[in-house]
Amino acid sequence: MQEFIILGRGGQGAQTAGNQLAQAFYAEGKYVQTFATYGGARRGTPVTSSLRVDDKPVRLRCNIERASALLCFDGSLIDANFLRTVDKDTLIVVNTAKPREAFAALGDYRIIPIDGREVARKFEMGKMVNSALLGAFVAVLKEPNIKTMCEVIEETAPAKKEQNVAACQYAYDLVRQAN
Amino acid sequence: MDMRANARGVLLSGNQAVAYGVLLARPDVIPVYPITPQTPILEQIIELHSEGRMKAELLTPESEHSAMSACIPASLTGARVFTATSSQGLLLMHELLHYASGARSSIVMCNVNRTPASPWGFWPDQLDSLAQRDTGWIQVYSESPQESLDGVIQLFRVAETANIPAMICHDAFYVSHAVEPVEIPSQLTVDEFLPPFKPDIRLDTTLGRSFGAPADQRNWNNTRRDLDAAMATVPDLVSEAGRLWGDLTGRHYAPLEEYRMEGADVVIVTMGSMCGTVREAVDAMREAGVKAGMLKVRLFRPLPMAALRQALEGVPCAIVLDRNYSPGTGGILHQELKSVLFNMKNAPRLHGLMAGVGGVNVSPAKIGELVAQYRDKEPQVGAIWVD
Repeated sequence: MQEFIILGRGGQGAQTAGNQLAQAFYAEGKYVQTFATYGGARRGTPVTSSLRVDDKPVRLRCNIERASALLCFDGSLIDANFLRTVDKDTLIVVNTAKPREAFAALGDYRIIPIDGREVARKFEMGKMVNSALLGAFVAVLKEPNIKTMCEVIEETAPAKKEQNVAACQYAYDLVRQAN
Repeated sequence: MDMRANARGVLLSGNQAVAYGVLLARPDVIPVYPITPQTPILEQIIELHSEGRMKAELLTPESEHSAMSACIPASLTGARVFTATSSQGLLLMHELLHYASGARSSIVMCNVNRTPASPWGFWPDQLDSLAQRDTGWIQVYSESPQESLDGVIQLFRVAETANIPAMICHDAFYVSHAVEPVEIPSQLTVDEFLPPFKPDIRLDTTLGRSFGAPADQRNWNNTRRDLDAAMATVPDLVSEAGRLWGDLTGRHYAPLEEYRMEGADVVIVTMGSMCGTVREAVDAMREAGVKAGMLKVRLFRPLPMAALRQALEGVPCAIVLDRNYSPGTGGILHQELKSVLFNMKNAPRLHGLMAGVGGVNVSPAKIGELVAQYRDKEPQVGAIWVD
């Protein structure tokens, strides 16, 4: 079983991203369970979306204590609490304009920066970074297939479907080339 | 979604699954008020309603107290009634929960188990509904979105047969917000399972009857004796509904579920979402040579006392995991189990552990540690804080 965490702030789309990623894995034949936890339905409060992917139905109903990969919507959420759910092998994709070296002080972690805001701007999507971040995350995970991911985004994005799909593909290519 | 996805069901959260169960049950009236983490039930119902798929009359009054006030007379006219709430909302309904059962309504409600304030919190903990255990409602605790969908439909059948309101409870986030494959049964299947609600005694302008009139001591006493007799029929009604539902869908349910209890030296007794994690813990312990099993309590009110005694007779050790804390006594399921095992030969050594109170995480590894720590100990009367 693989366990992923998506961390964001209310309104950024972390919960939606978790659901979309789950749908893509599910479409490829995997069993999934994803759940979001938040302290009240408010914009700006931290939101954690947890995703389990397995070849058989998922029965666990507890928190993910050690994620194999983590997607962070907001660099300001990286603190000691955050680092408790990762280890040196965890792939950590962070939405940031900063280079990888800027996170060196945290310790020896596998941090992959992606400037989601820049990608979103490029496709005229303002602050909506979730499709770009999903593209970057899928590039790092090497699954599900980016084509499946784009199909799910096209199907489920509430607006600007074409731009969302393009942002996902663009960020995917960007991370694949850089890493 | 591709065909493989369709063949295995659709991805729904526990709350969405409840709304689909409600849709298939063809309710007439739904008074409901939003509260985190129940709100997605209300949102999904409103979406189904606005698409024209759900024909029920939707009422959105100013509080949970008013929502329950609308549920009771609607149900007494013979309407099929659903509502949903959580935590503070359920607690605000409290006085009317007694009224609903006393008047023998057949409301079905979903409660999303969440910590009550103070302090403010949104975490999975079953104290909100367990604190309503004396209000005369049937209570079922669900482990998964699928079980919640199936449970809503089964409970309409039970509540409308016994004329007792029923509550299906599922844990905040771990079930309410868990998105996973859920099979939505066909309308035909549900129609075959769930007959229309036609109570003989009802509020009807053509019949001269009333509900809630003042009663003298003897008549008041008789209403509770009648309720008690009706409650006594519920375990069998729940078994029958679970069996019939299983014949139609392949998913069987019962008041209790035994998981790997054959020859078990130690049995974990628990309710709700914790059961899923315990299954993993039991498998790991069995793998390591520990003869562990699980007894899942699905029906909590009425407490299936005979079935519990039968399931636990001769088991050397039982460990209750309570995700709730009743100040002054401890874990509520532990209290209930102690009373069930009263004066029983070959009763297990019973430990009460308060695990995960306030939504604190309980992992399979933690459960394995607790079993190793307590299985050979002498039991205490009171419950113990762990985590």
